[in-house]
Amino acid sequence: MVILPILHRLGWMQWEELSFDWLLVCVYGVFAVILTYAICWPLEALMPVEPFQGRKALLTDAIYTVLARVGVLPITSFLVFYDVQVWVNRFAVQRGYIPPTLETLVPSLLGHPLLTFALYALILDCSDYWRHRLSHSFRCWYALHALHHAQREMSFWSDDRNHLLDDLIAGLWFGVVALLIGIPPLQFPVLLLLMRFVESLSHANIRLSFGRIGDWLVVSPSFHRTHHGLPAAGRTSCNYGAVFPIWDIVFGTADFRVTFPPTGDRRAPEAIATGRYLEQQWGGLMHFSAEWRRARMSKSQRSRPAP
Amino acid sequence: MTIRRRSVFSYSAAVAVSSLLTRRAFSQLQPATEPLAIVMNSGEASVSVIDMRSHKVIRTLPTFREPSHWALSPDRAKLCIADASGNALFMVDPVTGESLGHATIADPYQLGYTPDQRFLMVNALRLDFVDIYRADDLRLVKRLSVGSMPSHLDFSPDGKWSFNSMQDSRTLVSIDIAMMAPRWEAKVGRTPAGVLWHNGKVLVCVMGEDHVAQVDPLSGAIEQRIYTGVGPHNIFRSPDGKTIYVSNRVGGSLAVLDAATLSLRRTYPLHAAGPDDMGIAPDGKIWISLRFREQVAVLDPITGSYETINVGRSPHGIFLNTEMSRSGLLTAEAL
Repeated sequence: MVILPILHRLGWMQWEELSFDWLLVCVYGVFAVILTYAICWPLEALMPVEPFQGRKALLTDAIYTVLARVGVLPITSFLVFYDVQVWVNRFAVQRGYIPPTLETLVPSLLGHPLLTFALYALILDCSDYWRHRLSHSFRCWYALHALHHAQREMSFWSDDRNHLLDDLIAGLWFGVVALLIGIPPLQFPVLLLLMRFVESLSHANIRLSFGRIGDWLVVSPSFHRTHHGLPAAGRTSCNYGAVFPIWDIVFGTADFRVTFPPTGDRRAPEAIATGRYLEQQWGGLMHFSAEWRRARMSKSQRSRPAP
Repeated sequence: MTIRRRSVFSYSAAVAVSSLLTRRAFSQLQPATEPLAIVMNSGEASVSVIDMRSHKVIRTLPTFREPSHWALSPDRAKLCIADASGNALFMVDPVTGESLGHATIADPYQLGYTPDQRFLMVNALRLDFVDIYRADDLRLVKRLSVGSMPSHLDFSPDGKWSFNSMQDSRTLVSIDIAMMAPRWEAKVGRTPAGVLWHNGKVLVCVMGEDHVAQVDPLSGAIEQRIYTGVGPHNIFRSPDGKTIYVSNRVGGSLAVLDAATLSLRRTYPLHAAGPDDMGIAPDGKIWISLRFREQVAVLDPITGSYETINVGRSPHGIFLNTEMSRSGLLTAEAL
């Protein structure tokens, strides 16, 4: 009941309902960070894969998490996703086409919000599998994504450790898919937060596998550590799935061996591995620029006619 | 506007006598109809059906996204519930409270049938359209872009004109139904919402500026401003036509105006709960949706006390099927 008088005083009452939704998502974000901390921290203390060498790397990763979940996520969801969704709807409606939702395409889903929510999660997770796999396939894109892989001391904070450009691509990718399947604006950030909880757990420094069946159902710390392992860094990797391993199984990239390898990327510049937040962002941009130039040179060499 | 102590007492006494005289059992008024309150929960894509006798939710109907307001079909066989971002109009049997399916239309937020029953006018708040559909088959006849965030609407009783508030444009727009074109546009103030035709004038709640503006339907000129409380949002007339109720969204209260003079008679506190839509039951009690409490309040106008009923998130429109005994078209505003 604090926000309403503020909106009234500012003359922004027309944004009343959106503001409540925005605030709710911020609260969800704070709650998600607290929940993640409450579950993952004791597990990391009880069954770590390796001892932490220092707190500096963790602190930088924690800044990434708070920015992504409490600040960037709600703003992206409502200021961008809502506006884009309205614009797309208006554009389509003016041309006589009313965009469908998942429930209008599959009418039996009406009245089954949890099932619908789970289907949205599966579709978004499948799309994220391909975004992630492609980010490992292209040299320049991987240069940005390398910031995520450069961390040698994985923890539950590491999930949001991404270059801003990589985050932007991921946000656009998610947003386009969410628009195509007609996901409600309020469900979009909630889905992201739930999926991010599983992702935080899978990045945690915990010697934990969900067992033979469990590892097939939900991405575990063991399954995802294999993806972050030194042998898997770079453009040929495995275990790209974020929440559900089903996509790795279907598309032939799953590796269920429980090995807990050391993590990191030996080719990544040191600045993006151990620098502070801004050093990592700048270092990531330089790494991207260098890889871009290298890609252009190799392309021109390939196109040069043989003597 | 100040409230004089004497007028408050005399008004309270009048309300008490009137309410006691009209207070009868539901069964006496509607022998064949189960008295039901149908509440649109905008925040959780559902509709709560409440037994008005027991105050229990007896059924919850799913919708796609965001049910907001309602209009009763001219034959009174269907309650049309607007689901804005679901791009759908859900139909509910107003007698039994059972689902009758849905139709696809673009972004319906607030809606009403024209008094000649030929058209259904729909304010599409997100997409900035005022759409006019044929009432019988819901075929789009005309799409107007007359302002940003079209919110509430009402008609002149002869059905010639509509009056549509534009929340973001700060205007009230009048549309000529025969020409299907705007007649005038009046700047009424920040965030106009509820609209009501009353005694040959148009009343519009100006939520951002704490008053109800009285507008001349011919010229669009503002004739007077009646201060009702903080953030007046929606406006209703009592069945006997003697009282006008205004829900103050920000102040969390219900203002009572004398319908003849438009003077403020009383304010019922609802404790900052975001009151919105309302209906008046045969026993004289006022049913009000409380947006930010996930509740409906049942207010006794004699004592000013109220009971609450838990419903879904962000209850918005509320329809009482006991009001079907009244003559004329029923929309969220035009009781």
